[in-house]
Amino acid sequence: MSMLSSYLTLAAVLFCIGLFGVLTKRNAIIVLLSIELMLNAVNLNLIAFSKYGVNPSIAGHIFSLFTITVAAAEAAVGIAVLIVLYRSRATVNVDEFDELRR
Amino acid sequence: MLNFDIEITGEFVAFFVLSVCAIVGAVLAINFTKVVHTALSIAFTFVSIAGLYVLLEAEFIAFVQVLLYVGAITILMIFGIMMTKHDGEGKEPGRPLHDTLAAIGCICLFGILFYGIRNANFPTESAPFVEDNTREIGKALFTQYAIPFELVSVLLTVAFIGAIALAKREEESSQ
Amino acid sequence: MSTFFAQYAWLVPVFPFAAFAILTAMGKGMSKTGAWIGTIATFASLVLSLCIATERLSGNAEDYSNQFTWIEIGNLKLHAGFEVTNLSTMMLVVVTLVGFLVNLYSQGYMKKDERISTFFAYVALFTSSMLALVLSDNLLTFYIFWELVGVCSFLLVGFWYQKPEARAAAKKAFIVTRIGDLGLLIALLLLFWYMPGHALDFTTIHNVFDSQGGGAISTGITTLIALLIFLGAVGKSGQFPLHVWLPDAMEGPTPISALIHAATMVAAGVFLVARTFDIFDASQVAMTTVAIVGAFTAIFAATIGLAQNDIKRILAYSTVSQLGYMMLALGVGSVTGAMFHLLTHAFFKALLFLGAGSVIHSVHTQDIREMGGLGGKMKITAWTFGIGALALSGIPPFSGFWSKDAILTAALDKQPILFVVGIIAAFFTALYMARLFFLVFVGKQREGQHAKESPSVMTIPLIVLAILATVAGFVETPFNGWFGHWLTGGDAEHHASGLVMVVSAAVGLLGLYIGWLMYVKGTIRRDAVSSRMPGLVTVLERKYYIDELYQWLFVKPLQGFGKALELFDEYVVDGIVRLSGYSVSALGRLNSRLQNGQVQTYALTAIIGIVILIVAIAGRRFW
Repeated sequence: MSMLSSYLTLAAVLFCIGLFGVLTKRNAIIVLLSIELMLNAVNLNLIAFSKYGVNPSIAGHIFSLFTITVAAAEAAVGIAVLIVLYRSRATVNVDEFDELRR
Repeated sequence: MLNFDIEITGEFVAFFVLSVCAIVGAVLAINFTKVVHTALSIAFTFVSIAGLYVLLEAEFIAFVQVLLYVGAITILMIFGIMMTKHDGEGKEPGRPLHDTLAAIGCICLFGILFYGIRNANFPTESAPFVEDNTREIGKALFTQYAIPFELVSVLLTVAFIGAIALAKREEESSQ
Repeated sequence: MSTFFAQYAWLVPVFPFAAFAILTAMGKGMSKTGAWIGTIATFASLVLSLCIATERLSGNAEDYSNQFTWIEIGNLKLHAGFEVTNLSTMMLVVVTLVGFLVNLYSQGYMKKDERISTFFAYVALFTSSMLALVLSDNLLTFYIFWELVGVCSFLLVGFWYQKPEARAAAKKAFIVTRIGDLGLLIALLLLFWYMPGHALDFTTIHNVFDSQGGGAISTGITTLIALLIFLGAVGKSGQFPLHVWLPDAMEGPTPISALIHAATMVAAGVFLVARTFDIFDASQVAMTTVAIVGAFTAIFAATIGLAQNDIKRILAYSTVSQLGYMMLALGVGSVTGAMFHLLTHAFFKALLFLGAGSVIHSVHTQDIREMGGLGGKMKITAWTFGIGALALSGIPPFSGFWSKDAILTAALDKQPILFVVGIIAAFFTALYMARLFFLVFVGKQREGQHAKESPSVMTIPLIVLAILATVAGFVETPFNGWFGHWLTGGDAEHHASGLVMVVSAAVGLLGLYIGWLMYVKGTIRRDAVSSRMPGLVTVLERKYYIDELYQWLFVKPLQGFGKALELFDEYVVDGIVRLSGYSVSALGRLNSRLQNGQVQTYALTAIIGIVILIVAIAGRRFW
């Protein structure tokens, strides 16, 4: 079992934990954090491939930089949306937001 | 299938410790009922991952990870937590069917991924890696990836302006 | 001889059809004009028919036929066309003449009905299809128009559909005649199968069966075809045992009873047998069956007619009885007799029905026990009705005497028993006509009845028909066989038989005399028979319980079967339908619960979907 497999397995574990959090947590902030966790798992994959892949190169690092940037933007917008929602509904529980049904 | 014929090296020990830290942090984050605890525990996971990045010779990324995730995003989340109320945490009725299905789905997904990883054929010996990767990243960003880099900066600007516009109180317009 | 008008014979049915189309298109907005459109169209047909008849009267006119290929499937060709023969010419004249007079009469009779234009549209459609039926040169188109007149009959019997009896009668008429129509259809298919070249036109049928000897079609099949055709005729012409619809059909307006159920449509059965007479001629069994059924119907219906109290029903049973006579004539081989009787019967029975209609129009009842002494108030009606009654009773010199005489002579030649039956039936006929006439027009007038003569638009047709009923018989007398010669082209088959003439005139007069004694003079008490044999009278009043018998034999079991099927439909078929409906709506409810607007549920569904997809795609490798 090479190191690459170990990193990939770790990333898979983190990804699935994040996914479980996204699916089950009621608090929107925890959901956002879980999404960050999933993104991190993906980043871990990229970096691992960057070192242990068939063609080790710096591209993996660049990619994860972009990912981190986008994640930061996503977190900022997500928190902003959350605060607006909280202002109008006085809750941050995702199961109370069912506007999609209407 | 599970043949753990691993030579115990310093790198592996470090990987093992850091990965256990990351997983423990993630699991705790899911299990805590208080949001602040969750945020802190996730931050712990992020730090562990940064350690893993160092282990993977990606020092710059590790630095960015600590700066952005631990420093920026987690703090942003804590601001979010502070600006909203969390009185009724853990008091809602559970959703057993939903949770069970989610667990089954995630475990199945993990099973599939694990199966794929185990069966994948990776090259055993890796080519030598560049030494000074921060410099290399800088070069790549400003040569080969210049346009994506600029686009990302635009994206960030738009996102932050959008976030401010969203979160701004609309008292002026409502009056 | 020129066939100038015959070439345009196809126009005869076209006029009424155009009237039907106009009336249907215009709708109810033109009640008065609509009636005149129908009448004028029928008059146009009458004029053309008379022209054709005049052209052919000389006797040796060529038959004119014209046909075109209607359907061509592979090397199979179906033709449609029209044919003008002396037989169809006679029918043309009868149908258009009676049709025109009935149209005229209806102007008065139906005046107050708000659906008068619909009525005239139906009548026009009927006239059109009846004329087309007469002109058809092959059995297929014949069958189409045959069904069409059946539909018109249904529509017109049920014209006053507000009355439940009318609805029931319309249904009964349609269903009972369908039994016969089915027979005709099967006969048609059999003919199509066995005829050389699949020809269905009457000329070919004539040729094939005329030369029957070691012919193209075996005797068994011929008998079968003939009997099935006869079944069709039985249904249409109200012969026993399918006669039950005809009396009930009297629920329709009286002009309709006169036109359809006395003069034309019911005679179509006789016409059918006459048209395909060669098939019958080739089968002794079929001929015997026709004769026996005809004779039995003649006496059977006549006895029922004795005990009825509804003026129209008496006439209806009389119609059944007279149609039996025609069948009897055909059965003993006398086409001339049958067609001759058809001709005279069309006139005097239409006359009687229209007279009855005039009476009903005036006193608003159909029960003869509530009438009486109308002769004084309604002179024209009484006189013309009397002429019709005499003609029907077979009193010389009215037309019925001559035609009945022709039939009886033919029957005597062939089979004396049939002759005796015919004579007895003639006696009963005279008796019930006497009863009818004397009860309605003679005797004390009822209190509170303000009978008055009908308007001239109704009496003129009566007068015309009365004249025709008087003189129509002279086209064929034992001393002058012109009609038979003209019709069949053969030598006069008629030999004068003094015995027949004397006997038939005698029984007619005897019947009238007994009727006079019973209902006018009172020498014989009216209840003389009913007091001694109450059972017999009840049986007659209940029409031999035929309706009840059918009710128990066919209607009830079929209704039971229908109920069973209904239950099957209710619980099995509907159950399946409901089950599928419920399962779909349950699926819908499930889906709508899934569609709860919560992002996490959607995400979960997506994840499960992805897992299933991956498993399915990856799993394919292992199969």
